[in-house]
Amino acid sequence: MEADKKLLKDLTPELEKTSIKWYLTFFLFFVLFVAGIYGLILQIEKGHIVTGMRDNVVWGFYIVNFIFFMGLSYSGALISGVLHLFHTGWRKPVIRMAELITIISLIIGPFFIFFCIGRLDRLYFLFIHPRIQSPITWDVIAICTDLVGCFIYLYLSFVEDFAILRDYADLNVAPWKKKLYRILSLGYTGTDIQKKLLSRARMIMAAMVIAIAIIVYSVLAWIFGVTLQPGWHSTIFGPYFVIAAVFSGTGLLIILMWIFRKIYHLEEYITKRHFVNVGVLLMIIAAFYGYFTFSDYLTKWYGSIKMDSILIDKLFSDYYSLFIFANYIGILLPCIIIAFPRFRSIRNITIAAIIAILALWVNRYIIVIPTLETPFLPIQDTRPDWIKYTPTWIEWALTVAGVSVFAMLFMLVSKIAPIISISEMQEKDKSEILK
Amino acid sequence: MVIMIFIKHHILKALTLLTLIISTSFSSFSQEAKKITPYLTVQYSKDTDNQRVLQTTLTYSMNRMEIPLPGMEVSISVGSQSEKHLAAILTDEKGIARYKLDDNLTLPVNKEGFWDFSTGYSGNDSIESISSELSVKDVDLEMVLSEIDSLKTINLTAFTSENGKKKPVSDETVTIFVPRMFSILPVGDVYLDKNGTANFEFPSDIPGDNEGNLTIIARFDDNPTFGNVEKSTVQKWGLPRDNYTPGSHRALWTKSPPMWMIITLSILLMGVWGHYFFAIISLIRIKIEAKREKQRMNIGYE
Repeated sequence: MEADKKLLKDLTPELEKTSIKWYLTFFLFFVLFVAGIYGLILQIEKGHIVTGMRDNVVWGFYIVNFIFFMGLSYSGALISGVLHLFHTGWRKPVIRMAELITIISLIIGPFFIFFCIGRLDRLYFLFIHPRIQSPITWDVIAICTDLVGCFIYLYLSFVEDFAILRDYADLNVAPWKKKLYRILSLGYTGTDIQKKLLSRARMIMAAMVIAIAIIVYSVLAWIFGVTLQPGWHSTIFGPYFVIAAVFSGTGLLIILMWIFRKIYHLEEYITKRHFVNVGVLLMIIAAFYGYFTFSDYLTKWYGSIKMDSILIDKLFSDYYSLFIFANYIGILLPCIIIAFPRFRSIRNITIAAIIAILALWVNRYIIVIPTLETPFLPIQDTRPDWIKYTPTWIEWALTVAGVSVFAMLFMLVSKIAPIISISEMQEKDKSEILK
Repeated sequence: MVIMIFIKHHILKALTLLTLIISTSFSSFSQEAKKITPYLTVQYSKDTDNQRVLQTTLTYSMNRMEIPLPGMEVSISVGSQSEKHLAAILTDEKGIARYKLDDNLTLPVNKEGFWDFSTGYSGNDSIESISSELSVKDVDLEMVLSEIDSLKTINLTAFTSENGKKKPVSDETVTIFVPRMFSILPVGDVYLDKNGTANFEFPSDIPGDNEGNLTIIARFDDNPTFGNVEKSTVQKWGLPRDNYTPGSHRALWTKSPPMWMIITLSILLMGVWGHYFFAIISLIRIKIEAKREKQRMNIGYE
């Protein structure tokens, strides 16, 4: 019983009391968020002229962030779904984080689309005048479906934990939280029928979120792939995007594991073994991702279609350093760090994950921007700064605000629910803790 | 406990205060006033009916964007010392002031035979003054179209008038255009020879309207000596455009999507949402089971 109490205390560090450190960190992110909101107000007031987007490059940072966050979301769903479905032994401390990545990224991602739309007042037209033929409509349907599915999946994983928190008599939290746990736990007491129902629903939803994540991110890739634009018109864009998403999500999972382990002293639960296992997963996905990247660019380069050649020349001249970082350093370095057992320390694996995440973001950038800077039809009398995209401080501020909201939502969740699933960790003695 | 509440309260107050300071300082940055430095450009053009137009554009630059200055008075004069005032015109919403030079108007020429136009904006409290000058020489461009053995040829002649005598224009480029949907498409350039003449073989594969009509434009395009001077005519030299599009009830471009798309999407959505409903029903059953369990326990206690 004492062990259960310790587990509960360890895994819910911010539930009962809020540390000054928590407030200060939250405040820092809030300030960054406010700066983004200020930028957004300016953008709404003055229009998209305050961004770097112009006639040629109509998609900038916002779309890059949208793809990036949606990728994180789908990868979270894929990772948690696979780990759950195959009952991977070491999944327990990391599965909740993967689930939270899914939901939080899925909430943030679509906001970047709203920032990008010139006539936001006409957004509802997408719903009242949908065209099934349009990939944008596919995306709207896919994101809505995915959002609902991920919420159900996340909620299913929380039910047992809410029941534990509801029944834990010594838990010193506000009455509204107690009430919330009572409502959300649905009266779960762990009877055989309830266990069976919950387990079956979770298994089915785990399988569903894997399928949905693959379909939905493929749909997002098809928005690019079905156009005839150089660099985008590719048959492998669907699987390429899915692999890239899992690559970034695995990286983020490692970073979050490191952060939570460090801040909440979870060394006992998140061990080096977890880092190595997720790290090896990152390495395998990096290899696949590298293969897809090479295959995509090789066929374009060898095909020598005029516009593809112009684009590849541009990538190896104007975007040389970004291209090398995204597609060489960002893939090879994490592989090298993780492949050799002597380099496999927690710190090194986390560094590899940070490199992977940054490289993936840059990869999204060089997929979107250089293509738009390479139009099929030369536009007469266009000023050079309308062709060449340079993000403004407003786009940077909103990007940072997006990351801040991600951190803030994670922090808020830690105030309400366990950051590591208690029920998963305590499967053996659940009946005792539910007393 | 009291200390914690006190700290929390003060942190919240500090947070609100800092947010206000940040937002106020941002807004004070944006309110700094500065006198606008405008740009004034002048263009001369002469159309196919010999109508001459002086067009001035008054703009300024903000956030890398060219912003027009509408409703500003631009004065136009001619002569090396701006001795002859022609007009004062207000700029329109695009910052453009257009002045048509009357056919009967005699303009003073300088020693080289150029007209020296001067335009200016006198400025106000918020905009600086600016002036601009343009020297152009009058030129006559003639275009004759001929078709011999299916060979379509444009014959061009350009000359200036000096002391009542025609003087051929040589070593200058004339560009041939045809209007397309968004802009005019350059078809080719020709060089005027010493006699001021040039021939251009017009391509025979350019789409025209339904009957093959094309508007053909020959133009001194932004020429440093003559400005924009053009001649245009409509000729049946294009390929008749076939407007027939195969009728299709369901396609990517029609109102109704292809049937396979509807079926695929419906199956996918039904499959996915069906599983969602299964999960939701499972949750409802968990709740119902909890109530039953409670009832069983109550009966047990009794």
